[in-house]
Amino acid sequence: MQKKFGMAYIVDRCVDCKACMVACKAEWDVPEDHFRTHIHTGIKPEKREKPSMDFLPHQCNHCDVAPCVTVCPTKASHKREDGIVFVTRSKCVGCKYCIASCPYDARFFNHDIGVAEKCTFCLPRALEGKEPACATTCPGNVRVFGDLNDPESEISVLLKDAAEKRLNVWKLRTDLGTEPNIFYVKK
Amino acid sequence: MEFQEAFEWYVAAYLFLAGVGAGAIVAAALADMYDREKYLSFIKAASVIGMPLVSIGIGFLYIDLGQGFWKPWLLILLFANPTSAITWGTAILTLFTLFSLVYGAYNLGFIKFSGGNTMRWLLIITGVLTAGYTAVLLGVLKAIPFWHQTALPILFIISATSTGISGAMLVKEVFFKNHDHLGKIESTHMYLLILEIFLLAGMFLIALQGVPEMKYSAMSLLTGKFALEFWLFLVFGGLLIPAVAFALAEGGKMKISGGKLVLFEVLVLVGGYFLRHLIIHAGVYTQKFTEYLH
Ligand code: SF4
Ligand code: SF4
Repeated sequence: MQKKFGMAYIVDRCVDCKACMVACKAEWDVPEDHFRTHIHTGIKPEKREKPSMDFLPHQCNHCDVAPCVTVCPTKASHKREDGIVFVTRSKCVGCKYCIASCPYDARFFNHDIGVAEKCTFCLPRALEGKEPACATTCPGNVRVFGDLNDPESEISVLLKDAAEKRLNVWKLRTDLGTEPNIFYVKK
Repeated sequence: MEFQEAFEWYVAAYLFLAGVGAGAIVAAALADMYDREKYLSFIKAASVIGMPLVSIGIGFLYIDLGQGFWKPWLLILLFANPTSAITWGTAILTLFTLFSLVYGAYNLGFIKFSGGNTMRWLLIITGVLTAGYTAVLLGVLKAIPFWHQTALPILFIISATSTGISGAMLVKEVFFKNHDHLGKIESTHMYLLILEIFLLAGMFLIALQGVPEMKYSAMSLLTGKFALEFWLFLVFGGLLIPAVAFALAEGGKMKISGGKLVLFEVLVLVGGYFLRHLIIHAGVYTQKFTEYLH
């Protein structure tokens, strides 16, 4: 069966160490002022006696119905058969339309080479059967990467288990119809 | 809330110049069909700016493209994806530029054949599409709610026609030194400005009731980060002052010609640029996602 790559974050394991961001930057030579993956911070003000913080990893969602792919005039941005949304640099004219189109603010303009950029699930590593650099580096094992179509893969097992235990599993902004492939799990 | 930073002033300049060029030609073609003799000076003036401004606008777009200048062969790929509004725009702009080149050459006496009424209709259709498409480009993006509004293309078409008339009037006055009284065009211009004011007001009233991002964009213009430019260059300078002046002229209470005319037309043009500049810069992405943690 055709592979379909996705990622799940077990969010309550994230300690905001940002090792993923650094690993990604090192792997992909991302320009100084940008990151391909971020950690957002949320504070729970309602529990005032004991304020708590949450950390939300965030990156390209490799949407099934990806606005960035719809709007790209050159087809540089495209959805691969394995589910990865990829930007072919040699075709990208640098119009930035995809950047404005992404509701997840997952893309940025790489001024050094004049093209749009974002997370690619570390495509060359994925093709070798390895995890993306962020997942390998994460000390908390927050990031679980794999083939959603393979019931034996770690991510499928995690999602199945989470469903059975009725854990809180969600995706971002499903109301926009983008069909994202990043899952958030709270254990 | 996060303001978009992908599109900057180059894109605003492109949208503005394409609008003025297209608007001028649409107004000229309409005037041409109505009474060519009477409006000839206006038609000629519009021909001088129509195609060139659209081309300069496209030039701004190329400068903005990360790769347009270095790898020009990539530009052909702008036709590659039928789902992309840029692809639609490229096709529309190409047609409009060709048609307006022929029309301009005819009006300025370089060639003898104008293509007749068919050409005029083609110019009106592709011209309106050129002006409207610049807003559709923004409007199809769900990621930025403030742009995702049906009113935007209508607003841009009206503003393009109004700035197009201003551009042509300006050229007529300054370069052709022709002071023909073009009553119909002047009153049309006044009504366009009034329509634009109402449309803009309506768009803001609706935006203020919209999703938080939309409201935030609207507030950034009304009272926030961009308020000074919004009120000064767009609302007062670009719309209210010229509208009032043209209305006074219409009622015979003021005579607008020479220096005064130039001033009001320049104000309309500055307003037209700021309309695009401000709408682009006030674009805010859909919400950040930390609230999903709770
Ligand atoms: S998250 Fe953004 S960049 Fe990634 S596939 Fe979806 S729309 Fe495209
Ligand atoms: S910047 Fe590149 S990838 Fe993005 S829409 Fe334009 S051509 Fe496509």
